[in-house]
Amino acid sequence: MNMFLHELKAYRKSTITWTFTLVGLIILLLSMFPAISEEAETFKKLMEGFPEGIRLALGLAVENIGSILGFYSYIFLYVSLFGAIQAMILGVSILSKEVREKTADFLLTKPVTRTQIVTSKLMAAFTSLLITNVFYLGAATMMVSLVETKEYSTKIFLLLSLTLFFLQLIFLALGIIVSIAVPKIKSVLSISLGTVFAFFIIGALVSTTGDDALRYLTPFKYFDFAYIMQNSSYESSFMMVGIAFIVIAITASYLIYSKRDIHAV
Amino acid sequence: MNVVEINNLTKYYGKERGIIDVSFNVEEKEIFGFIGPNGAGKSTTIRTLLALIYPTSGSAKIFGKDCIKYGPEIKKEIGYLPSEVFYYDKMKVIDLLKYSASFYKKDCSKRIRELADTMDLNLNKKIDDLSFGNKKKVGIVQGLLHEPKLIILDEPTSGLDPLMQQKFFELLQEENQKGATILFSSHILGEVQRMCNRVAIIKEGKIIQLEKISALQENNYKKIRVQTIASLDPNYFNIAGVSNLAVSQNMISFLFKGNINSIMKKISEIEIINVWVEEPDLEEIFLHFYEKGA
Repeated sequence: MNMFLHELKAYRKSTITWTFTLVGLIILLLSMFPAISEEAETFKKLMEGFPEGIRLALGLAVENIGSILGFYSYIFLYVSLFGAIQAMILGVSILSKEVREKTADFLLTKPVTRTQIVTSKLMAAFTSLLITNVFYLGAATMMVSLVETKEYSTKIFLLLSLTLFFLQLIFLALGIIVSIAVPKIKSVLSISLGTVFAFFIIGALVSTTGDDALRYLTPFKYFDFAYIMQNSSYESSFMMVGIAFIVIAITASYLIYSKRDIHAV
Repeated sequence: MNVVEINNLTKYYGKERGIIDVSFNVEEKEIFGFIGPNGAGKSTTIRTLLALIYPTSGSAKIFGKDCIKYGPEIKKEIGYLPSEVFYYDKMKVIDLLKYSASFYKKDCSKRIRELADTMDLNLNKKIDDLSFGNKKKVGIVQGLLHEPKLIILDEPTSGLDPLMQQKFFELLQEENQKGATILFSSHILGEVQRMCNRVAIIKEGKIIQLEKISALQENNYKKIRVQTIASLDPNYFNIAGVSNLAVSQNMISFLFKGNINSIMKKISEIEIINVWVEEPDLEEIFLHFYEKGA
């Protein structure tokens, strides 16, 4: 428990910053909805002028940009990009920072098992993401009810919003396994941004092909917003792959970290 | 009873040598010195004892329990001070020490104050703002605050001024008298000589000598200097048992191990102005070991 609290405290600043970023982003983007829905027809025409490939890559489903959920699912792409960066940075840094800041000797000569160390750190990261998501969801719900006067499905709205948390968990697991597989990480930021943007771009490219099998390549495509809106549910095959990846990555991290030599600085 | 038992401990980093076949015991309430130059394998041995790294072969026991398998359990009673201390920079000293204490299920706050007073450490500063020597003090307090039964020190004195070193040694002796066993690694022989009962000397990953400090010093080693009237054949004293022979004009100095009569006879056969027969300090014996092997 002491390690968990210590870690949570260490990430307090980053949690607050990211929470504010995501909350600010969703408030900003959703506040544009009234203007866009009024001009939906003009906007559609403008969009139709774009080549189809670009529209697909940007995730623009022209038909429903005028509805709140359609608009939300469009802007959500950018929210999830930011969310993925937050989770990835957290994942990459949480175990590697002991080595980078040379505090591993301190922690590992205490009467704790390495499993306990990993668990505490994981729980702290998980809690940090949970806090961000609670505040995000609160802000998003409030904004949506402010800008939209018509009826909309709360269930679909929640399903869409919760994909942020799932996506973040996938990137958290990815970050942790990367930090364990790469022996010495000098810059957490560059490795995190690089990875997230790579997956984001793959996601954009996959969109243009329309090939479903390719969607397994990037977590950004595990949740198809059009599908969620139509069926009010997630696609189970992609959910399975996501969960399987998280389980495997976390298990592998525990195993590798327990067996690893901690070298002197 | 042995507090530490090391049996044929071997560690390779890939193909690189760490330590080979290291075996020695540290008895209860002993201050045990572990000396060797940088890169000889002192830290490797200590880091294996602390389960920071895993041995390639061999094993070690602390308090009679395997140091890897029962690592977390035995670490309750171990205090460790690394050669270079790094802590969470943004924390205040007192917060770090409290965090450290929170791992041991006892109240250490009184002990923290005592130690900080002794070491003249300001508890309210940020770790970031501390000098190297002061960080080292944090390390000392951190290593001793839970009153461990075994204290492991890896080159502990670097960065401490002589006054603080003195205080630190007094502190260690106090702990030792209260019943703590101390494993003390160093490349500074003076401090080992001063502190320790027994010593293991490590070279290129292997233990080359394991002795009582007193035995190491006695062991018939004599440091002899002779001042002669006339200059002498440099090889005059080059007989069995003589090492570190140095001749400069009329001064001859060397270490001698063997029957003292044979060397006295040699000296009596020449005209001398003065002669000094001394106990060599560890440093000289040590150099001797190293040169012999080289």
